[in-house]
Amino acid sequence: MVKKRFTPKVLPVSERLRSFGEVVLGYDYETSVREASRCLRCPLWFAPCSKACPLRVKVPAFLEYIVKGDLEAAARKVYEDNLFPSITGRVCPQEWFCEGNCVVSKIGESVSVGLLERYVGDYARENGLDEKILAEMVSKNSGVKGRVAVVGSGPAGLSAAGWLRLRGYEVVVYEALHRPGGVLAYGIPEFRLPRSVLDHEIKKVENLGVEIRLNHVVGKTVLLSELLSEYDAVFIGSGAGTPKLLNIPGVDLNNIYTANEFLTRVNLMRAHLFPEWDTPISVGKTTLIIGGGNTAMDAARVALRLGSKPVVVYRRDREDMLKTTRRDEVLHAEEEGVEFKYYLQPIEFLGDENGFVKAVRFEVMEPLNELDERGKKKIVGTGRYVEIPADTVVIAIGLEPNRLLMEESGLRFNEDGTIAVDDHLMMSLPGVFAGGDAIRGESTVVEAMADGKRAAEEIDLYVRRKKGLA
Amino acid sequence: MFRVTMKEDLNEQDYYLEVESPHVSRHWRPGQFVIIMTHERGERVPISVATINGGRVGMFIKKLGKTSVELYRDFKVGSSLYAVAGPLGRPLKLESYGTVVLASDAVCGHAEQLGLAQELAKLGNKVISIQTFKTEKEVYPEKYLAKKYVDEYFITTLDGTAGYKGHYIDLLRELLARREVKAVFAGGALANLKKLAEATAGLDVRVYALVRTIMVDGTGMCGSCRVRYNGVIAYACRDGPWFDARLVDWDDVLRRDARFKKVEKIALDKYLAR
Repeated sequence: MVKKRFTPKVLPVSERLRSFGEVVLGYDYETSVREASRCLRCPLWFAPCSKACPLRVKVPAFLEYIVKGDLEAAARKVYEDNLFPSITGRVCPQEWFCEGNCVVSKIGESVSVGLLERYVGDYARENGLDEKILAEMVSKNSGVKGRVAVVGSGPAGLSAAGWLRLRGYEVVVYEALHRPGGVLAYGIPEFRLPRSVLDHEIKKVENLGVEIRLNHVVGKTVLLSELLSEYDAVFIGSGAGTPKLLNIPGVDLNNIYTANEFLTRVNLMRAHLFPEWDTPISVGKTTLIIGGGNTAMDAARVALRLGSKPVVVYRRDREDMLKTTRRDEVLHAEEEGVEFKYYLQPIEFLGDENGFVKAVRFEVMEPLNELDERGKKKIVGTGRYVEIPADTVVIAIGLEPNRLLMEESGLRFNEDGTIAVDDHLMMSLPGVFAGGDAIRGESTVVEAMADGKRAAEEIDLYVRRKKGLA
Repeated sequence: MFRVTMKEDLNEQDYYLEVESPHVSRHWRPGQFVIIMTHERGERVPISVATINGGRVGMFIKKLGKTSVELYRDFKVGSSLYAVAGPLGRPLKLESYGTVVLASDAVCGHAEQLGLAQELAKLGNKVISIQTFKTEKEVYPEKYLAKKYVDEYFITTLDGTAGYKGHYIDLLRELLARREVKAVFAGGALANLKKLAEATAGLDVRVYALVRTIMVDGTGMCGSCRVRYNGVIAYACRDGPWFDARLVDWDDVLRRDARFKKVEKIALDKYLAR
């Protein structure tokens, strides 16, 4: 058996620096078959990869079809559990899910499930198989079971909409922005998830018969109470859309962005194409990115592509960073030349006479011999300080749920601002379900999609009960 | 969708634009705004709402940057905007205060006066409106002034060519000295709102200011519009755009408002040169 995984084609570093083109180019047919052949074909009742997948994709089963060369069957197998393999295959942190639990990893490198899923998803998309498979799946329904409103068109919302449609519901998705996709559109850069892929995945959901109403801010344009009277149930997948800011002096200085603003200006509004596109972004010679998560990696690599020198500053070390940050993003950032500085905690932002940031003051931290609840080393200040010059800063220390929905009464929220739901993903308001970052705080695309899928099941049960059909 | 139904000059630089947006008009409350995009490549720009006529949203816009100039030159009655989102911002919780003053010196402010005047009158307030223009030539056509909705109306011009000579702050000072004014709602140039906050410091009157900052999404997602308010960070799009003027850190607002001055000029120059 081959212990090492086959490497995918990757865009050379020299071609990445000024381009937003996709970095990982994926497998070709031959490599896919070879890589899939490394799978030991654990039976499904045991397969730890599948059990670790939030969507429970039947990994060994679809890999077997790849080995046989039957890509349509492989795609059908994936679509039984996951409607968006071209997205999850690109953005999932597989090392925490399928690949992290692969039996092969006990004796060698785990099977590259993510790249294989992506290969199957892309093959289906490029050959029109996805539309065919979905059309067959949706045609199994007879009649309309009910109407459901979905709030937000990000991973949770798109997944809920798709699975509800497949269960025979009419679905209308309400999206606040002018483009659907949520965090997939404004948060994840094109070099990780090309716009053409995202556009196709959204179109796929629309072609299933899902209506997406853009420019509709639920809580403002249309109220939750109205949705409740108009639909049999509501699913809220509004995400964790509000950035956390550092409460330290100078945080209001110009050229200090939240990661959300920085990424939205580029990913959604295409500020890198200014002035052909109207939205500007102002970036200097050195961009300090504060934080060490996936968003920080995205921001650093975007800054690099805008022609700035990115420096990621994290308050712990690399080992701890990799516990919560997707390995590939860290490796790609490193090979692209992003500089990393560890054990530094920001204390103050220093500005020039015009109110623009010119440097950041940090306290040097050191680890304690103790772990926190996430298994990361606890840290403590040393009383020593350093100053790093920077003319642009991106704060990427996390997000919290958007409070916009709180303005309407009747909803129960947890202390951290997340929406409180019961075991059936239902909120304190009957008929209102929620999933994704709105209930989890910051989480992953695949978990949001899994929530959307499970919510579709729960909503189906709820509506049928309400109508006396179950 | 978002079809332009009317476009009229207010003066040489300001214009009125009416756009079909029934989704916005259903829940719009005075003081709330919209975000528009001219086309797919456009910027998301917050715009003041002056009127709601059926499903049509009437806006006051100043020809200032690329989007507003392009919208004026290239969009005619019958053209469609790419996006109109809203209503955005927290609606003002208006009360029966007694005597209130509305004051403004620019499109954002002049527009809001129309809705606020009607709403405040409905609540039984005695409403005084002050609208400041540079010169007589810039005074809006009568039907776009707050005049018809208020109990007392003043125009001021900086050069004295019409109405009271001076800025609304000057006239307001006089009114506050001799009348029992309970609340002031002011909008327009941010630098003047700072002056207003200073001029009313320590006085026993509520002062609310329209804090229009640079926004992207307009729903509290990006933090572009953040304002230092009463010592903490508030988002103008979600928590505002109306704030207690004396709790706003105006130096912060003015500094952040200048963030993109250089690049904004590039966009406008490129558009004008095409």
